Amino acid sequence: MTALLTEEIRALVGREVSYTAPEELGRASIRYFALAVGDDNPLYTDETHARAHGYASVVAPPTLVCETNQYAGLPRDDDGYAGHTWRLDIPGTRLVRGGNHYTFHRPVLPTDVITVTWRIDDVTERTGARPLLIVTSTARYTDARGEPLATNTETLVYVALAEKT
Amino acid sequence: MTIAPGTAVPPLERRIDLPDMIAYAGATWDWHRLHYDPAYLAARDLPGPVVDGQVFGALLAEQLQDWLGPRARVRTLRFRFASMVFAGETVRCTGEVTAVRDGLVTVEQRVEVAGDGRTAVAPAGATVETGP
Repeated sequence: MTALLTEEIRALVGREVSYTAPEELGRASIRYFALAVGDDNPLYTDETHARAHGYASVVAPPTLVCETNQYAGLPRDDDGYAGHTWRLDIPGTRLVRGGNHYTFHRPVLPTDVITVTWRIDDVTERTGARPLLIVTSTARYTDARGEPLATNTETLVYVALAEKT
Repeated sequence: MTIAPGTAVPPLERRIDLPDMIAYAGATWDWHRLHYDPAYLAARDLPGPVVDGQVFGALLAEQLQDWLGPRARVRTLRFRFASMVFAGETVRCTGEVTAVRDGLVTVEQRVEVAGDGRTAVAPAGATVETGP
């Protein structure tokens, strides 16, 4: 097995890409997301209830802002996926999602126009019987004034496929 | 309600059927075949449509918001995927308080599959501002 962490892969650290939504997030997007999750909290759908609890209007469920396909505006790939990816083609591996770490700076409102900036923070390799390449990226979500909404650190793991014998 | 280290977070249980997954795919503009396409799944030896992992993040946040009420604000949420969950399975989110300080509650959470008890998501956890 050759090393997964090539100079080419290492050079990806610091790569950045940004997407801005073409419109406000909107109440329908928020209601649809809450409905799809099965979350019936009225903070997401009932204006009076939300205002009574100190919010400017209905708010988005916390993790919605981190689902960026809606505003990435990217074409659909062969897998049907139309979201942000680094499009890393690492031969002899399969991609596994490791996990996420979200920080929420303020509740996201239907009037927010969201921008996300993704950056590759780190690429590391773990050697052994099943070599791994671990790619850590951070997405920073901001509002129209550039104020922070949320941060999402994502870990992608490229697992070496078993060698054919 | 007294919240202290060791306090259990009320569990949240939800069955995730294919229509729920289609709804989530639609709501998040994520049309990845992994979530619905039988031919795509068969070619990869997967037993059924795979639930989008970010759903578990949404459920972990819901579990905390339901518990602490409308004035509470989830500040951080982290989760690591342990195994895939398939259409028709029921997941159960559990949690326990690990620290309470300066109006911030720290919890450790996990997501298990109700049928066979396998771990879907762990470790996971959050910090929540309890609010005024």
